[in-house]
Amino acid sequence: MSEILIKNASVCDPTQGINCETMDICIRDGKIVDSVSGNAKVIDAEGKLTMAGGFDGHTHSAGKINVGRFMNPNDARKTLVPGLSGQVARTEKTRAQVGYNTPNTYAIGYRYAKLGYTTICEAAIPLLAARHTHEEFKEIPILDKMGLSLFGSNWQVMEYIRDKEPEKLAAYIAWGLRASRGYGVKIVNPGGGEAWGWGRNVSGLYDPVPNFDVTPAEILMGLAEANERLQLPHSVHVHCNNLGKPGNYATTIETMKLFEKIKPSRDRQALHVTHVQFNAYAGTSWRDFETGAPMVADYVNGANHLTFDLGQVIFGPAVTMTADGPVEYANARMLHEKWSNQDIELEDASGVVPLFYSPKSFVNAVQWAIGLELALLVKDPWKVMFTTDSPNGGSFVNYPEAFTYLMSAKRRAEVISGFSKMALDRMVLPGIDRELDFYELAVMTRSTQSKMYSRPEKGNLKVGSDADIAIYDILPGQIDPSTEYVKVKEAFSGAAYTLKSGEIVVKDGEIEETPKGKTYWVNAKVPESIDTAMQKDIDRKFRKYYTVSKSNYMVEDSYLQKPVEIGTEGVF
Amino acid sequence: MQVVKLSLKKANKIPIEADNINPDNFAGKTAEEIKTIPLWYGNGQCPLGDFFTVEVEGSDSVENVKIVFEGDVSRVKRIGQNMSAGEIEINGNVDMHCGFGMKGGKIVINGDADSWLGCEMTGGEIILNGNASYYVGAGYRGEACGMKGGKITINGNAKDYLGEHMCGGEILVKGNVGLLPAISNNGGKIVIEGKATMPANEMKNGTVIIKGEVFDLLPSYKEEGTEEVEGVTYRKFTGDVNAGGKGVLLVK
Repeated sequence: MSEILIKNASVCDPTQGINCETMDICIRDGKIVDSVSGNAKVIDAEGKLTMAGGFDGHTHSAGKINVGRFMNPNDARKTLVPGLSGQVARTEKTRAQVGYNTPNTYAIGYRYAKLGYTTICEAAIPLLAARHTHEEFKEIPILDKMGLSLFGSNWQVMEYIRDKEPEKLAAYIAWGLRASRGYGVKIVNPGGGEAWGWGRNVSGLYDPVPNFDVTPAEILMGLAEANERLQLPHSVHVHCNNLGKPGNYATTIETMKLFEKIKPSRDRQALHVTHVQFNAYAGTSWRDFETGAPMVADYVNGANHLTFDLGQVIFGPAVTMTADGPVEYANARMLHEKWSNQDIELEDASGVVPLFYSPKSFVNAVQWAIGLELALLVKDPWKVMFTTDSPNGGSFVNYPEAFTYLMSAKRRAEVISGFSKMALDRMVLPGIDRELDFYELAVMTRSTQSKMYSRPEKGNLKVGSDADIAIYDILPGQIDPSTEYVKVKEAFSGAAYTLKSGEIVVKDGEIEETPKGKTYWVNAKVPESIDTAMQKDIDRKFRKYYTVSKSNYMVEDSYLQKPVEIGTEGVF
Repeated sequence: MQVVKLSLKKANKIPIEADNINPDNFAGKTAEEIKTIPLWYGNGQCPLGDFFTVEVEGSDSVENVKIVFEGDVSRVKRIGQNMSAGEIEINGNVDMHCGFGMKGGKIVINGDADSWLGCEMTGGEIILNGNASYYVGAGYRGEACGMKGGKITINGNAKDYLGEHMCGGEILVKGNVGLLPAISNNGGKIVIEGKATMPANEMKNGTVIIKGEVFDLLPSYKEEGTEEVEGVTYRKFTGDVNAGGKGVLLVK
C-alpha cells in the first residue's frame, strides 16, 4: 500500500469548481482518497499550482508518426525547444531521446510527462494498422493511452448506410473498435478517403462518394447514430470536409448544424470537431484568404451540442499527417514538399507532408491567429480543448509557449508586431483582449477532456479519481500571466512534480520513474443475431478484397499494455 | 603560430569519431591538455592520447592553429567538424564526414576522402588532392540544404551525388564524377572538369559547368543557346523543368 500526501497544494480543478484553493490531496494505491495514514510520503506543494494531469485528447503520437520519422530523419537533430527536443543521451532512468516533431516513442512519454500530461489520445487508427499502433503505444512510457479508430471512408460503413441497415452498422462499429482495440469513432473528410482512391475528392457534405451512392452528410449521420446506439463514451470525432481550403468555414458550420438533431446517449457532446483552425478559413482562394473564426465561434457560442479543439499553429517546422489523403496531395504540390501517400485497402487513405509555418507568410500568420481567435472568441471554455494537433500544427512540446498566447494579450501583440499588414487585415486577433486565467486553461487542457471522453477518473482531482497530478512551480494570484508570461512558460515546460497513478514520475522537470501506462479500449455489446449477420458480410469482404485474413486482423489483448476494457450496452 | 602534430599510434578497425579535433578546440592548449580530450571509440569514450602521439609547437589563437595528421587516418571520422578557423593538414586518407559543417579555415587532404566530405559547410576551404567518395558537400539525410558556402576543390575524382541539395558555395572537381552530380541543387556553383553522368537532376537554382563528356543528359532541360565562360563556349541549358527550376547547366 503506497500513500502520498500532497500538502498545502493550491488546487485548480474546474470539474469541482475549485479555483486555486489551498488544500491537501491524499493518494492511496494510485487513487485519490479522503485521508491517508501518518506513514504517507509527504510532498510539500505550498505555493505551487496543482492540477489534474494533462490530457491531450487529439495527438498523433503512434502509428503514422512513424512514416513522419522515415521521411524526416533530420528531425532527430532539431533542438528548437531546449530540454524538450533534439538528441538527449540516455540516463540511468531514461532511454535515449531524439526528435522534435516526430520524437521517438520514449521521448514522447518523457516529454509529455515533463509538461504535466499523463494521458493521450491518438486521434487516428486505421483498423488495418491498429496492431502497429498498439506496438508503439507499448513503447510510450508513463502515459495512459487510447486511440480513435477510423470509419469515415470505410466500404462496409458506406454500404450499410446506403442500404439503410443501421443495426448492422452499429454492430460493425462495435466489431471495428474491438478489432482495433479502439476507444471511439474517428471520421476524416467523410467519403474523401475513398474518393481519393480514384484520384478524386468530395467537395462538401452533399457530394456523392464515387461508387457508393452516399454523401458525406449521410456518412456523418449514420455513424453518429450508430455511435449513440452503442452508447460509446466519446461522441464521433470529426475532421470536416474541405480541410485546409479557403472558404471552408461554411462547410464546418454546416457540419456542426447537421448534428443538432443527434441526441447524445450520455452526458457528453453529440459531436467533437477537431483542429478547427484548419477548418475556419474564409475567402475564395489563397489570394483573398482570411479568418473565418468569428463566424465559427459565433455559431459555437449559440450551440450546446458540441466540443472542438484548436489545432493551434506553432511557427517553425511541422509535419502534417492525416487520413485526409487529398489534402496532403494538395499540400505537397503547393509547397513543393516531400509527400508520402498511403492507401489503406477498404478503409481509408492517408498522407504525410512536412512543412514550415513562417510568420512572414501571410497565410501562416493568419492560421496562427485563427487558432487563438477560436479559443478566445468562444465564451465557454468547456467547449474547447487545447491542442496543436501535434505535429500537424506544431509539436506538443510547444504547449507552454502556446499557453502564453492564450494568457497574455501583450505576448500576442509581440508576435503580431512581426506580421505584414496584409496578414493583419485578414485576422481579428489584434482586436481581442481576452486573456485566459489558470482556471480556464485547466478546463481546456484537462476538464473538457474528462467530460468529452466520459472518463470521470481522468482530468480531475475528485476522491476516487486516478492520482494523475501535475504540480507547477507557479502560483496564481502571485503572478500576472499577462505580463509575466516568461515565468508561465517556464513553469509549464517542466512540472515541479508529475504523478502518474500515484507515482512520482517527474520531479523538478526531470524524469524520476518510467512506469507503464494503461491502454483504454471500448467493448460495445451487440445482440448476437445482429452480430452474426454482420460477420457474414465482413467475412465476404475479407475473402474478396482484403490482403489479410480476418483472423489475422484482430488485435488481441496480449498486444496491449495494461488493457482497460470499457464495456457499453448497446440499445437495439 | 601553433602547430599540433598528431600521428596515429596504431591503425584502428573500429572508427574513431573525432568531431572535436579542430583548431577551435586545440587553440592555446598544451600537448598534455590535448591528450586528455575525449574521443568516441565504438560505444565508449577514450582520451585522444590513447590513439595519437601529440606534439605541440607554440601556442596561439584559433586562426593561427595548424593541425597536421601524419599518416593515414582512414578510420577517423568527422575531423574538422564545425571548425571556424585555422588549418588542418592530413597526410594520408581520411574517413567520412571530414569538414562537416565547417564555418571557416582550411583543410588540406593529401590522400583520399571517404563519403560526406564538407557536408553542410558554410565557409572555409577544403582541398582534396586524392579522390572523394559519395555525397561531397551534401546535406544530412532529409535536410533541404547541403553546403551553403565555402569552397571544395577535388584534384582527383568523386563518386555519386556530388553536391546534393547544395544551396551555396563552390565545388571544383578536376577529375570525373559519378551519377547525379548537383542533384536537387538550390544554389551555388559546381565545376566538373572531367566526365559526369545525369547531372543536375531536379536542380532548382545554381550553376553547373561540365567541361568533359556528359552521359545521359536529362531530357528535362531546356536548351537556350550558348554561353561563354573564361573564353570557352558551352551549350547552355536551364532547368530542371520538372522541378520548375531556374538552374543553369553548361556543357560542351
